[in-house]
Amino acid sequence: MGVVVKKVELNWLDRTYVWPVMKGMGITIRHFFRQIFTPSAKRFTIQYPDMKKEMPAGYRGLHELKRFEDGAIKCVACFMCQEACPARCISIEAEEFSDLTFTQGFEEKRPAKFTIDMLRCIYCGMCEEACPKDAIWLRKDYEVAAYDRLSMQFGKWDLMNTYTEADGKERISQDPTPSVPRRTIAM
Amino acid sequence: MDKLASLLHTTPATAWMVAKLVIVFGGVFSLAAVWTWVERRGAAMIQDRIGPNRAALFGKIKIIGLAQPLADGIKFFFKEDLVPHDANKGLFWLAPFLALVPALMGFAVIPFGRSFVSGGQEYHLALLDPGNGMGLLYPLAIGGMAVYGVLVAAWSSNNKWAILGGMRSSATMVSYEIGMSLAVVAIFMTAGGYDPSEVIKAQGHLPWAWNIVRQPLGFIVFFACMFAETNRLPFDFAEGESEIVAGFNTEYGSMKFSLLALSEYCHMMTASALMATLYFGGWQVPFVQDPSVMLSVASFLVKMLFFAWVYVWIRWTLPRFRYDQLMHLGWKAMLPMSMVNLVFHAWRMSQGH
Ligand code: SF4
Ligand code: SF4
Repeated sequence: MGVVVKKVELNWLDRTYVWPVMKGMGITIRHFFRQIFTPSAKRFTIQYPDMKKEMPAGYRGLHELKRFEDGAIKCVACFMCQEACPARCISIEAEEFSDLTFTQGFEEKRPAKFTIDMLRCIYCGMCEEACPKDAIWLRKDYEVAAYDRLSMQFGKWDLMNTYTEADGKERISQDPTPSVPRRTIAM
Repeated sequence: MDKLASLLHTTPATAWMVAKLVIVFGGVFSLAAVWTWVERRGAAMIQDRIGPNRAALFGKIKIIGLAQPLADGIKFFFKEDLVPHDANKGLFWLAPFLALVPALMGFAVIPFGRSFVSGGQEYHLALLDPGNGMGLLYPLAIGGMAVYGVLVAAWSSNNKWAILGGMRSSATMVSYEIGMSLAVVAIFMTAGGYDPSEVIKAQGHLPWAWNIVRQPLGFIVFFACMFAETNRLPFDFAEGESEIVAGFNTEYGSMKFSLLALSEYCHMMTASALMATLYFGGWQVPFVQDPSVMLSVASFLVKMLFFAWVYVWIRWTLPRFRYDQLMHLGWKAMLPMSMVNLVFHAWRMSQGH
C-alpha cells in the first residue's frame, strides 16, 4: 500500500531559510531566559541530594512493620506475606508470648525474626495486600541503598524503626512483653 | 611598560610583544576553555535543563559550576592515552596540534583594541602591527589550514568513520571557502584595503555605517561560511555523531581529544573576532568618537563574545544538514549570493558611492 506523502508548501519567506532560522532562535532564546530566571526550586530538574521529590500517595517504598502504642508489634507471624511474596524475600520465624493487655490473656504469636532481603524485594506491595493485620506497610522512603549486601538484610528491628524519624516516634529495640519459653508438647 | 622592560633588560617593544602574546593566546585559550562550560550550560538552559553546576573549587566554592573546565582538564590529563593499533602514530600525535595551532594563529592580526601612544612609542593592540602586508588575508589563509588538523586526524586514525568525517569536512571547507572569500573581498573593496585597521577605520563609530548594514547579504554568507569553517552545527560534518560515530575524532581520547575539542572552541573565538572586525566595526564603540583604550577593548570583547554565544545558540537551535543539502546550499546559494554581493558593491563603487 502506498503512502501519500503530503508536500508542505512553503511561502517565499520560509524558503529564504534565514527567517525560519531566526524564528527558531527566538524560541530557543525564550526558553533560555525563561529557564535562567526560574528559581531553581521551580525548575523541572530536581537536584537530587539537595532536593527530594515528594512521592505520590500509594507509592510503594521501604517497608515498615507497624506497632501498637505500647511498642508491641502488630504482626502475628501468620506467614501470609511470606507466602504472597513473589520474590520470596521475606523469612519469618515465629515465637509465643503472653499478652494480657490486648487479647484475653491467651498466648499469642509474634515473629521472633522477620527478615526482608531488600536486594530481592521488588516493591510490589503484595505483602501489604496479604497482611490480615495491616502490620506491614510500604511507605514513601525510596533511598534504600547500602555499601554491602549484609546491610540490605533488614531484620525485625530495622523494619520496625524505618520511619521513626519521619513520624517522630521513638526507636524501639525490644518487645514490651517477654516471650514464653517454648513448650515441649508431651506426646 | 618601560619599567617592566628595564626590569627584564629588554626593549619596551620586546616586552610589549611578549605581553601581547601572553594576553592574546592565554586569553583566547582560556576563553575557549570557559566556552566549553558556556556551551554546556547554555545548551542545558535552552533545553530547560540545568547543566553542569556541581564542580567546585576545593570541594566548596561552587560559582555556578565554573570550575567545570578545570575538572575536565584534570580528568583528561589522567585518562589513558590510547593509540589504535594500526594508526599512523606520528600523524596521530601531530593532528591535535595541527588543529589547534591554526585556530589560535588566526587571531594574530585582529586588533582587539585601539592603538595608543605612550612614552613616544606607539603600541598596537594586535599581535602583528598594522601594515604588515598580510592583513585579513592571513586569518583566511590560516583558516584554510585548519582543515588539515581534521583531515590528518581522520586519516591517521585508520578508521572508516573517521575518514568519512574528514572527507566530508574537507569538502565542506573547500566549497564554503570560495563564498566566504568573495564576501570578504567585497569588504576589502569598499574599505580600500585589507588591513584590519583600515577595515575598522572605514566603518567608523556609527552603527549604521558598519558593514553589517552596508552589506547584509555579505554578512549572511560570511556568517554561514564561518559555521562551516569552524565545523560547528548545523555544518558539523566532521563529527556527525548520529551518522558516523564521532567522525574524525572517533579514535581520540584523553588529552589529544581535549586538544581537538579545544581547537574547535579556539577556532570559534577567532571566527567571532573576525566577524566582529569585518562586520561590526571591530573595537569601535557605538557613538563614541575617540574611545579610551579600555573601552575599546571592552567593546571588542562584547562583540566577540556575543558571536561566540551565537555559535552556541545556533548549535542548539538548528539540526544538522543533510550532506547533499549542504553542498546544494554551498554551491547554489552561498556562492551566487556572495557573487551578487560583490558585483553589486563593485557597481555601486563605479557609480561613485
Ligand atoms: S513488596 Fe513484594 S517483593 Fe517486597 S517483600 Fe513485599 S511481597 Fe515481597
Ligand atoms: S502477613 Fe502481616 S501479620 Fe502475617 S506475618 Fe506478614 S506482616 Fe505479620
